[in-house]
Amino acid sequence: MASQSQAQAQAQMHAQSLMKLDNKTSKRSNMLLEQNVSRPRRDRVGLGAFAFLFAEIIRYSQNRVLGIQDLEAKLNEIGQRVGVRMFELSMWREKTVHREMRVLQTLVFINTVVWRALFDKQADSLERSTENDDEYMITDNEPAVLKYISVPKEMSSFSPGAFISGIVEAIARCCQCPARVTSHVVPADGLPLRTVILLKFDKEVMDREKRLEAGK
Amino acid sequence: MIHALFIINRSGGLIYSKNFTQQVAQLSSNEALIFAGTFHGIHALASRISPAPKRDSVKDTGIQSIDTKNFRIHCYQTPTGIKFIAVTDLLQTKLSGALNKAYTLYCDYALKNPFYNLEMPIRSEMFDTKLHQLVQSH
Amino acid sequence: MEKQYKAIGEEAWKNNAEKINAELFIFTYGSLVVQLVKDYENYSAVNKQLDKMGYNIGVRMVDDMMARTSLERCTGFSATAEVIAKVGFKLFLNVIPTVANWSADAKEFSLILDDNPLNDFCELPPKAVADGLRYSNVLCGVIRGALEMMQMQTEVEYVRDVLCGDDVSEIRVKLLRMLDEEVPASDD
Repeated sequence: MASQSQAQAQAQMHAQSLMKLDNKTSKRSNMLLEQNVSRPRRDRVGLGAFAFLFAEIIRYSQNRVLGIQDLEAKLNEIGQRVGVRMFELSMWREKTVHREMRVLQTLVFINTVVWRALFDKQADSLERSTENDDEYMITDNEPAVLKYISVPKEMSSFSPGAFISGIVEAIARCCQCPARVTSHVVPADGLPLRTVILLKFDKEVMDREKRLEAGK
Repeated sequence: MIHALFIINRSGGLIYSKNFTQQVAQLSSNEALIFAGTFHGIHALASRISPAPKRDSVKDTGIQSIDTKNFRIHCYQTPTGIKFIAVTDLLQTKLSGALNKAYTLYCDYALKNPFYNLEMPIRSEMFDTKLHQLVQSH
Repeated sequence: MEKQYKAIGEEAWKNNAEKINAELFIFTYGSLVVQLVKDYENYSAVNKQLDKMGYNIGVRMVDDMMARTSLERCTGFSATAEVIAKVGFKLFLNVIPTVANWSADAKEFSLILDDNPLNDFCELPPKAVADGLRYSNVLCGVIRGALEMMQMQTEVEYVRDVLCGDDVSEIRVKLLRMLDEEVPASDD
């Protein structure tokens, strides 16, 4: 009996301390809510800071997976959370854009607005696959986030751009155009890290496209 | 002219060696390791026998160059204890600028590469390429 | 002295640092913390892992700072504090924390982070606050790792954190001892 009331008292105390914390943190919430996000609060940080962080993320992930596919899936997941947030911010800032539902508009949005927001430039090309109607490719000749990464020969199929494809995958989903997104290193002359982001749109998306085309 | 470049880690291990001209002999990997370890040792001893007072601010940093009749060995030690060593002709009197650039390349293409393990030999095509460009442009 | 380091930091940031979009960096860090929370399901384990990852970053980052500045090895702990704040933080995060609260024996100081980019957009859930998550704990590891490469063994920890409702964020740096022998670094 005694221990029960003790436990109750403890629970009460815990709840109280949580409330106290809440009061303290709500100050910060208010601050956050009042923050103007229509323009970035700060412009730049060092690429070095990002590069060291990203290298450590890869090392950490590598220790927790069995193979290259899993490693890419992990990086994709980390990228997706970045993508969702970048999407919300971009939508808020680009007042002229409304939530896209068409494949081409979504692709152009990613190719221009998103790339500029993330990498301060447009992607280098946007193409439709000649083999499959539902596949599109966004190419970045020199992704800054991968600049210093040398993939060892024994892992040659690994594409660190899986992080970028995660960002793109999340944004395509947010635009109501879910797709499977993968990344591939396709070096060109003098561009060892040229990365192709391949989007394969879900069947329902392509079906919807056809209906919308027909209804025009 | 830079004939060759070596990088020695904090414990005296050779983590990189490359010849850029045909004018110097290619050391066998064993000889290169001995060269690195020996240089590391002499460097440490040289800073110990230095007559300079042992206050931190003026602590001697060890050997900066070794001259022979035909060539010169330059050493640039980073504040963290990594040594960049270059073999040049006698016309090169000061090489710290170029070796500092090599240090920057090491930071970029070795340290920022997730697949590079600290203190281990550097195997990166990009590092090779950039270093080659640096030596060529020097 | 202080002025000189400020100038070195600013010069390095302006001329020798490549830059990247701050929000990409901030969201990527946030995504890492979320990943760790999912992987460990325990906030103090997350703090530990962040510190460890920071250490791995710090032992590498210090070279990057040295290569991009004309700095020589610091001559004392007070100069070290100035370099961390005015050169290190500036070069990588483009902010300058305040060095404050020196202990009488000059072996401990605090970095007051008036502006921490990692915190942008972040609000912790009450449970994380109650369980003591140190969201930016990576910074402690970075400082500890960097100083170890400069032969200083330190203890670095958050003592106050705005994300947990404190008025300011304060990181305490405590010098334990100088390492004489050159010990090879290894990943934690």
